[in-house]
Amino acid sequence: MIHIKNVSKVYPPNITALNDVSLHIRPGEFVSIVGQSGTGKTTLAKMMFAEERPSKGRVIIGGWDITDIRDNDVPLLRRQIGVVFQDFKLLPKKTVFENVAFALEVAGVGPRRIREVVPQVLRIVNLQEKVGRYPRQLSGGEQQRVVIARSLVHRPKILVADEPTGNLDTIHTHEIIDLLKKINEFGTTVVLVTHNREVVNGLHKRVITLEDGQIVSDVEEGRYKL
Amino acid sequence: MFILAYRVVKFALQNFWRNIWLSLITVSMLVLTLLSVNVLIMLNAVGQKAIAYVEDRVEVSVYFNADVTDEKVADAAGYLQGLSQVRNVGIITADEALDKFKTRHAADTAILQSLDEIDGNPFGPTLVIKAQDVDAYPFILDALDNPQFRDDIREKDFTSYEEIISRIESTTERIRLFGLGLSLTFLLIAILIVFNTVRIAIFIHREEIGIMKLVGASNGFVRAPFLLESIIYGALATGIVAALMYPTVAFLEPKFDLYFDGQSTGLVSYFVENGWIIFGGQFLVLSLINVLSTMVAMRKYLKV
Repeated sequence: MIHIKNVSKVYPPNITALNDVSLHIRPGEFVSIVGQSGTGKTTLAKMMFAEERPSKGRVIIGGWDITDIRDNDVPLLRRQIGVVFQDFKLLPKKTVFENVAFALEVAGVGPRRIREVVPQVLRIVNLQEKVGRYPRQLSGGEQQRVVIARSLVHRPKILVADEPTGNLDTIHTHEIIDLLKKINEFGTTVVLVTHNREVVNGLHKRVITLEDGQIVSDVEEGRYKL
Repeated sequence: MFILAYRVVKFALQNFWRNIWLSLITVSMLVLTLLSVNVLIMLNAVGQKAIAYVEDRVEVSVYFNADVTDEKVADAAGYLQGLSQVRNVGIITADEALDKFKTRHAADTAILQSLDEIDGNPFGPTLVIKAQDVDAYPFILDALDNPQFRDDIREKDFTSYEEIISRIESTTERIRLFGLGLSLTFLLIAILIVFNTVRIAIFIHREEIGIMKLVGASNGFVRAPFLLESIIYGALATGIVAALMYPTVAFLEPKFDLYFDGQSTGLVSYFVENGWIIFGGQFLVLSLINVLSTMVAMRKYLKV
C-alpha cells in the first residue's frame, strides 16, 4: 500500500529531516510512527500525501509513484488519502455538516450525493446529533471527530493522522483512538504519527520508531521505547 | 462541471461579501478610473462637435462686379457646383444684396441717404460657397481664378476660421492628453488596489485555502473564485459608471447645446448608440487588467 524507498529530506541550508528511510506498509495495517519532536515523523507523514517531496528516494502510494507528482495530480491523490491533524483545521464559520460537506463540494460532488454521504460518516464518528453546531460549540474530541469524518467522505484507502490526540485530554484521546481502530477494522490503512506513549502501548499494533531522521526500530505489536 | 462552476461563483460572491469594505474600496477606485475615461470620451465628442460646428461656418463669399449678368453668375455657380470639393453654392442677386444691406443698416440714416445719392444699385451678385472639407478652400479659391470668371469678380472674402479650428484642436488635444494621464494614473492605482485586495483576500482565506487543498480541491478550483471576484469588480464598476454617465450626459447636453446655437451635440444619442461598445469595451479591458493583476498576486501569494 505504502512504499517508502531510501527517502531522504534535506531542508536548506543543510538540515536533514529524514535520512535514507525505507518502509513498507501493507493494506489494512494500523501503523504508529513514533519519535521525539524533530525526528522527522511529520515530514514522513506529509510525504504520503505529497505535502512534502523527498530530496532523494521514492514514495509509492497504492502503486502510484508520487515522488515527482505533478501539481495538477496532487488533488487526485488527496481525494484517496484521508488526513487528520492535531490542530483540527476546521472552518469556524461552517457547521459540522458544512465542514464535512466542504470536502465533497470542492471535489465537485453533487448536492444529492453530499446529503447521502455526510450523515453516513457523521454516524460513524457518532456526531449525527450535532450536525448544526459550529466548531466553537464542540469539545476538542468532537472537533477531531468532525475532522475524521471529513477525511472519510472520499472513502479513502489510507488515513494519515498526525498527532490527532495532541490537543486532547485522556478521555477524548481514547475516543479518537477507538475511532481510528474502528476505521481500520473497516479495512482502511491507518498511519498514526504520535509521541503519546500510552496510546502506542495500548494499541498493540506495529510501531516504527524514528530517531534523528532514521528508522531505529520497526516492530509488529511494538511498544513506545524512547 | 455545472456544479463546480456554481460553487466557484458561490465562493467568489462569499469572498466579495465577507470583505465588503475592501471590495467597495476596490470598486470605487475602478469607478474613478472609468469615470475619468468616460469624461474624456464625452469631452472628445464635444470637441469634435465644436470643430464640426466651426467648420460648418467656413465659407467663401465671391462678390461679382455690379454689371455682371445673372446668367454669368449662374454659370459660375454651375461650374463650382460641378466640383467634387464643393458642398453647396448659394446665389445672392444684386437686388437681394441691396435689400440685405438696407435691412442691416435700417437704423443708420446717413448710410441710407448716401445710398440714395448713388444712382442705381451699387451691389453686384454674390456667390456663397461651402466646401465639403475645410482643406478644400484653397483649391476652390484657385478655381475661381479661371479666366472665364476672373475679370468679373470684384472681391473674394474667405473667413478662414483656421486659427479657431486649430485652437479648438489644440485645446481638445491638451484635454485628451491630460485626461489620458489622469486615466492612466487611476488605472495604475486601480491595478495596485486590485493586487492588494487579492493579496489580502488570500491572506484572510489562507486557512480555508489550506483546507481546500488538503481535502483535494484542484488548483483551478482554488484559484477560480479569486479570478471571478476580480471580474465581478470590473462588472460592478462598469455598471455603476454606466448608471452615472447617462443621467450626467443628459443633464449636461442642453448646457453644451447653448454653445452651438441650440444645435444638439448629440451626446445622449452618442452614448445610447455606442453604449455597448463604450461600456462593453471598458468592462472587457478592465476585467482583463483585473485578471492579470489577480494572476500576478496569486502567483506571488497563493501557493497551491
